[in-house]
Amino acid sequence: MNNIEQKNQKPIAYYPGCSLNSTAIDFNISVKNLLKILKINFKEIKDWNCCGTTPAHNTSSEMSIALSARNLFLAKNMGCDEIICPCVSCYCKLFEASFILNSNITSRSEFEKKKREEILNLFKNMGFDTESELNFKVYSIVEFLYKNRDLIRQKFSENKIKNNNIVIYEKEKELLTQLKPVCYYGCVLLRAEYSTKFDNAENPVSMEEILKTVDIKSKNFRFKTECCGAILSLTHKEIALKLSKEILDAALEAGANSIIVFCPLCQQNLDLRQTQINKHFKTNYNIPIYYISQILGLALGLSYEDVMINKLFIKPEIKKLKQVNFQYL
Amino acid sequence: MKIEDSYLEKIKEEILTIIEPGIYYCYQCGKCTAGCPISYVYEYQPNEIIRLIQLNKINVIFNSNSIYLCTSCEICSSRCPQNVNIAAIMNYLRIKSWHYKRFKLKRIYNFYKIFLKIIEKFGRSFEPLLIICLNFLNKTFFNDFDSALKILKKRKIKIIPELLKNRKEVSFIIKKYS
Repeated sequence: MNNIEQKNQKPIAYYPGCSLNSTAIDFNISVKNLLKILKINFKEIKDWNCCGTTPAHNTSSEMSIALSARNLFLAKNMGCDEIICPCVSCYCKLFEASFILNSNITSRSEFEKKKREEILNLFKNMGFDTESELNFKVYSIVEFLYKNRDLIRQKFSENKIKNNNIVIYEKEKELLTQLKPVCYYGCVLLRAEYSTKFDNAENPVSMEEILKTVDIKSKNFRFKTECCGAILSLTHKEIALKLSKEILDAALEAGANSIIVFCPLCQQNLDLRQTQINKHFKTNYNIPIYYISQILGLALGLSYEDVMINKLFIKPEIKKLKQVNFQYL
Repeated sequence: MKIEDSYLEKIKEEILTIIEPGIYYCYQCGKCTAGCPISYVYEYQPNEIIRLIQLNKINVIFNSNSIYLCTSCEICSSRCPQNVNIAAIMNYLRIKSWHYKRFKLKRIYNFYKIFLKIIEKFGRSFEPLLIICLNFLNKTFFNDFDSALKILKKRKIKIIPELLKNRKEVSFIIKKYS
């Protein structure tokens, strides 16, 4: 309990990013509702801008850092040092900016020091407070949940004790009992040059550990950190479709009936484009792709509507069960 | 001809001084190529890119498709036994090719151009306009028509762009560095 009270004192800034505001609205809403039931005090950054993602990163590194730095300074104006960022692409850009800006980092190269001075100068001229100590901490949603596993476990066992009330709704219980997922991490989160490497880059287990706290067992998967083709799906679709198909293939091979992800772009490539994959390769996949926040939310007592399962393009096929698995009662 | 050579030499010098001083540590084991998810469409493989830089043939790299198709998944850098930061080199070459107007793959070039223009105007990305402009410029008019319909049906997209209060700051940043 002490832990929760401490968190209530200082809010955490929440940076959704462009995709979570449009095509991944289900991720946005489910993360927000999940954080609410975990009683984490968070505030969305006001007037946030796009992080520039691949186009900025691939055309000018200063532009990419400056765009993210604006978001960091806006968070600071709200009195927040810690930022949660669910989108992986935004996370990498924000983390790089925080690495360049933070005052306490000494391992920067000459080149990075020069960049820092330039960016600080730019924001000073824009009227931001650059003089005081900068100490930004950027979390991706997986890292944040992994660090707060005890909180999730506590909430889950609290729910179990409330036996008489319906803690998990019927439909949701059926989905959870029939779930045989694999966890797909996507390529860049743990590998990026600028990121906290909180888990093994080649065989990560943090998502599995998080799901274990709510009694969900996931299958072993050999494509955990392969690339899905990312933004090539817009310009060179054949490549993205091929890479995504291989991931779906490997999931079936592992004996799974669903994939759990946390990157909006991976979700889009696997979920929205699954019909395109089927058409292109004459296959017949029908694998629902969930966000980790949706599954955790359901297990902690949120409803279908709270986590927006209806926004998925591949609908989960759920059989009516006579008896629901005891652990979710 | 001479002018061209001079900027290519400068790029190599910059790679050696600021991006990856250890470029000559590469012993061509090919682990980067083995891991790369899109090496099958590359004209030059990641390990060959490193060799080409060593041989001062950056011109050849600019004219091939490899650096533009790279998705920056960073498998190459994280698996390199000699700690050569290949992804950073590829990214730097991409930035330079953009800067010197040598960006070869037109479809990706158009995508970056439109995306940055949209952020400059609105402060945030706005997918409907992005897809329409991209399909128009790339002359792939019915590309992703099915996906667009599906997204509209699920109401997962905003039809009116959100405008930032201080979008001047964002457009200032983009104009300054592009």
